[in-house]
Amino acid sequence: MPRWASALVWTVIAALGAGTLGYLALSRGEQVNAAWLLTAAVCTYLVGYRFYSRIIAAKIFALDANRATPAVRLKDGRDFVPTNRWIVFGHHFAAIAGPGPLVGPTLAAQFGYLPGALWIIVGVVLGGAVQDFVILAASVRRDGKSLGRMAREEIGTVAGTTALVAVLGIMIILISVLALVVVKALQQSPWGTVTIGLTIPIAMLMGVYLQYVRPGKVLETTAIGIVLLIVALYAGRWVAQNPTLAPLFTLTGPQLAKWVIAYGIAASVLPVWLLLAPRDYLSAFVKIGVVVALAVGILIVLPPLQMPALTPFIDGTGPVFAGKLFPFVFITIACGAISGFHSLIASGTTPKLLQNEKDARFIGYGAMLTESLVAVMALIAACVLTPGIYFAINAPAGIIGTTAESAAEVIRAWGFVLDPAQLRELTSHIEESTLLSRTGGAPSLAVGMAMLFSNVLGGTGAMALWYHFALMFEALFILTTVDAGTRVGRFMLQDVLRHVWAPLGRTGALFILTTVDAGTRVGRFMLQDVLRHVWAPLGRTGWYPAVVISSTLFVAMWGYFLYQGVTDPLGGINSLWPLFGIANQLLAAVALCVGTTVIMKMGKARYAWITILPLCWLAVVTMSAGAAKVWSDDPKLGFLAHARLVEAQLAAGTMPAGAKTAADVARMAFNDRLDAGVALFFMASVVVILAASIYEWVRVHRGTATPTSEVPFVARAAA
Amino acid sequence: MTSPRLPSLAADAPGVARRVAAVIRRIIGVPDYAAYLAHVRDHHPEQEPLTEAEFQRERLAARYSQPGNRCC
Repeated sequence: MPRWASALVWTVIAALGAGTLGYLALSRGEQVNAAWLLTAAVCTYLVGYRFYSRIIAAKIFALDANRATPAVRLKDGRDFVPTNRWIVFGHHFAAIAGPGPLVGPTLAAQFGYLPGALWIIVGVVLGGAVQDFVILAASVRRDGKSLGRMAREEIGTVAGTTALVAVLGIMIILISVLALVVVKALQQSPWGTVTIGLTIPIAMLMGVYLQYVRPGKVLETTAIGIVLLIVALYAGRWVAQNPTLAPLFTLTGPQLAKWVIAYGIAASVLPVWLLLAPRDYLSAFVKIGVVVALAVGILIVLPPLQMPALTPFIDGTGPVFAGKLFPFVFITIACGAISGFHSLIASGTTPKLLQNEKDARFIGYGAMLTESLVAVMALIAACVLTPGIYFAINAPAGIIGTTAESAAEVIRAWGFVLDPAQLRELTSHIEESTLLSRTGGAPSLAVGMAMLFSNVLGGTGAMALWYHFALMFEALFILTTVDAGTRVGRFMLQDVLRHVWAPLGRTGALFILTTVDAGTRVGRFMLQDVLRHVWAPLGRTGWYPAVVISSTLFVAMWGYFLYQGVTDPLGGINSLWPLFGIANQLLAAVALCVGTTVIMKMGKARYAWITILPLCWLAVVTMSAGAAKVWSDDPKLGFLAHARLVEAQLAAGTMPAGAKTAADVARMAFNDRLDAGVALFFMASVVVILAASIYEWVRVHRGTATPTSEVPFVARAAA
Repeated sequence: MTSPRLPSLAADAPGVARRVAAVIRRIIGVPDYAAYLAHVRDHHPEQEPLTEAEFQRERLAARYSQPGNRCC
């Protein structure tokens, strides 16, 4: 393309992006079509990719096609395999995109579509995609080293250790909050419970088939699995319509939580070929399938956004989660705008696959833009619901009551319209017993998707199928994260137990035991018994009891938060999702500190603003959100204020909502303080990592820093 | 497996299907035994390569032991 033509095309794209963004930001009162949002997003992404990511590719790293990548130099046919860029892109995208970008934007829709949309679109270009790209490029230049190792080698031991502990903490919170989303989606829903329950034997059947009947035939096995998933969808409907079977599978939140916890332990101790690997293959297919289906659905329907640009809840009085627009929109939406967890993948499998350094831009920056687009689509799917329906589904029962009429009344007071008859009609279309207070984000997203899909295929008659189909997809993603996460967490914990444990001695043991003891009784006796008598073998990964114990211990950690969330009268999401957001942003801060240090040590300090800019923003956001969650005087928002409130209520003789005995109140107060402790721990980690990094940057400036661990240039031909 | 060159579609339909299947397998994360075998033959002819079953088992174990292959 001649120069002038290229300039013309990019001017048009930039103008279109700026124009649509401006229209979105300024339109008030009238309904906006989803097409505006999609156009604004895609044009901004294109401009960001073409111009902003070029600074990182050309000016900072000077990515060079002649430089041999780790996949080329260290090729071993196992971890290091030079791979086509499109394949790596697909693999990387399937690894980074999960339920996060679907749930976060759905919850953040309580502020209206505009704040979430702007943060997703701007945040990804200046933050999330920058982080993923810089970490990927840094790791490719360091033989595919992990984020933890880079933090240790580039910044120092303190930063490295903080990063590792932070990862473990994040995994616990991440798994518990995602498990909570599943529990919330399945409670009182026999159809959903049966369908999702059946995915477990389906995965095991696939595992056995793959292991013994047709070894290595993954695609054939996955095709069978997909057919069985559709059978499971109909089986769920059959059970839900059967008057004797339906009550058996109509479970309460605590019952489901116990099942999910048991599942976590089982998945972590069973051989991977039996459950994890087949479920993973299925989930990767389903993931890409859903994303494509959602895109096609939105493009065909081009729905108007029913949600206003801004709702009155930007002042922090919203029912879905507490907290003002700033900083909570930036915490609620992590995945899709900037997700620290991605830095683990960008420094995990992906850097060992790149056959050409220059692909890092397409894969690191490009895949994150794609995830961001998924988040925009999730936001659209949430906003095709009328605000009345959206809040009826997402507000906890403690606020809107348990009947359509009480909900309609509360929602009218907020300034939105909910017609009880319309809600009942929708509920019967999707064949659920109720839609009220189905918090957690998954059900409302499933309703939105069912509306879009049934518009394209099947009409209202197919809505129930589409709804449970969407729910099954979401649950499948989430359970894949729960089981694989538990397994990874188990290994990390065993590692800690082996290295840090013995020298720490009994004090450390007591500390963890107290946490477990106070929290949950799962595996407590087993744990005490073994921890006291059999010490050293605890770290042996091949020793089955050690496997079971460390799995149980790890599951107990997330299971505790899950159970706490399920029994929380305010719905649990309210307290756990912000913790997850803070944790994820903390990890992003670690990644950006590593990125900044790497850039400075390359002698490119004058470009370091590219990572310092999002880093400053994240530091402000995590610290102010953390401080609000811990110390706010509003008991809806602050953990400590809530603990004081329920204790004061007990002392005054009035039981807080959801509590029956004094022990319940004590447990609620303890949970609040525990959550406050977790938030404080994450905040302290941010401070430590920032201090350690700034210290190192000063040393770089003075020329006294340890040299970078970048692997020297090796030409491709020589490798 | 390095960039599969696309042959003319009509001429080689089964070949195309095979390549598409290979791409999908790699994207969903199936370990590539053929590439491993080729690598060992080319670079370490003195070594006895793992059998396909051993290779799959070893890859699966590696995959689920560290964070870095899955996100939220």
